Amino acid sequence: MDDLKLPYWAAGIALVLAATLMVRDAYIASVINLIAIAALTAVSLRFVMLMGELNFATAAFVGIGAYTTGAAVTILEWPFLVAILAGGLMAGLVSIAFGYVTLRTKGPYFLLIGFAFTEAVRILYSKSTVLGGTSGMIGIFPPVALDAWMPTVIVGISCIVILALYVLERSDFGKILTAIRDNENVARTVGLNILLVKIACFAAASMAAGVAGSLHAYANNVISPGDFSFLVAAFALAYVKVGGEDNIVGPLVGSVLLVILGSYALGLGGDEHIFYGAAITLAVLLLPHGITGLLSGRRGRSAAKGH
Amino acid sequence: MDQSQQPLLATRGLTRRFGGLVAVSNLDLEIRPKEILGLIGPNGAGKSTTFNLISGFYKPSAGELFVFGENCTGKSALAISRLGLVRTFQHGSFMRSMSVADNILLGTIHGVKGASARRKRVAETAAMLGLTPFLADEAGNLPHGLQRLVSIGIAFAARPRLLCLDEPLTGLNQTEVANTLGVLQRIRDEFGCSVLLVEHNMKAVMRVCDRIVVLHHGQHLATGTPSEIRADKRVIEAYLGQRHDH
Repeated sequence: MDDLKLPYWAAGIALVLAATLMVRDAYIASVINLIAIAALTAVSLRFVMLMGELNFATAAFVGIGAYTTGAAVTILEWPFLVAILAGGLMAGLVSIAFGYVTLRTKGPYFLLIGFAFTEAVRILYSKSTVLGGTSGMIGIFPPVALDAWMPTVIVGISCIVILALYVLERSDFGKILTAIRDNENVARTVGLNILLVKIACFAAASMAAGVAGSLHAYANNVISPGDFSFLVAAFALAYVKVGGEDNIVGPLVGSVLLVILGSYALGLGGDEHIFYGAAITLAVLLLPHGITGLLSGRRGRSAAKGH
Repeated sequence: MDQSQQPLLATRGLTRRFGGLVAVSNLDLEIRPKEILGLIGPNGAGKSTTFNLISGFYKPSAGELFVFGENCTGKSALAISRLGLVRTFQHGSFMRSMSVADNILLGTIHGVKGASARRKRVAETAAMLGLTPFLADEAGNLPHGLQRLVSIGIAFAARPRLLCLDEPLTGLNQTEVANTLGVLQRIRDEFGCSVLLVEHNMKAVMRVCDRIVVLHHGQHLATGTPSEIRADKRVIEAYLGQRHDH
């Protein structure tokens, strides 16, 4: 396993958590929650991009996590952490079944299936009376004791899951993912079970997306089918593309920047959808390696490779 | 039959059709332990199809395939590779965006458990191929000759019993060809691994192979030692395209 730079991670996470403890303003707290959830979703999307697939079903798994937590809290009255874990596990389980069938396809086909799945799942919520139909579920509250500390809790849980995906990416498992993206037949000829690896990658990413959904449910207290359209994945793609996909720091930078700018644009009465579309377009045209690529001096594909 | 003389790979009447075209027809092929077998033939002779059939990437339309004595007819590429038959591909059988070390590592993941054992296998394999100085380099940035060696490195890191190489010498200069042939001989001599070599470079094939199989129009044309093949009239005609009446 490669050097994980764990001291940097520990320092970074400690710093961010300390910063969240200072927050007293409710608006700033809500923006921090949005950033953490966006970052976790973007990291989940990027994890599947490691094996070369664009996973629009990310949005569906965020929704499955949110609704599982919603049902666990309001109907079953499960405790806080159990409800979040349930959201991640349910998304992971559904993704294994979904992935087993769909991961035999690639590229545009896989993308379109993910897109269709997201919309189909959304229709299921709106038809289900138990899940509140089109108006959704209300009253998904965290325990009273945690209420004042929600930004810290949400950022903390997001950091743990992001770190877990990072460790997985840097392991030999992560190298198989890159191999699948580059040339999956070669990986197959040295005895690696490609479908199994793809399903494992997809399930890990979907669990993270599920947890993001659970956190979303607790942060908003209210969820409805409209929250989990394909736009969730499109926004996540914007965070990844603007921040840079070469490194896991990219989607984190992209989330912080775009969520803050997006919140500001919303305040000006601008339409954030146009804003995100423009962000993706500009990033792809001007910054093929995103902002983090710019910082590490890697602009073009072959330029400045550090030799 | 004596275990040591049992063929590693045998095909019986192996046939593959694509629509009306018979790409490989009724082929009987044997690869023996510790031999370097050349598979040659003019363009379109069915070499690549044969390669894909024995490695499980194509399913045969008819005939049987035995790998290490096991009937592998219709088995998947994954199942066959796990028996110890590892192949490379004609065009870039490596990962451009990964370091040479990580490329070779891929070959060890299935068979070797534990990070330090994998690292050791990578180091041994790189040393054998002369890739040690380039371990940290991104494979896509290496010169073509070294990239070809990286492809062989991934495959050989799995320590196959039968290594199948699809045109590993294409685009190499004379020094690189000699170097690669030396590697193939060492793989055979030191590890007892048989090699199936599909190659256009006739001089190299004649030099390194113990036996040569010639395909023509999807059919078996001749089998023999390099000197036998060199003297074979049918082979010369197939290559020179001479007219001959039956």
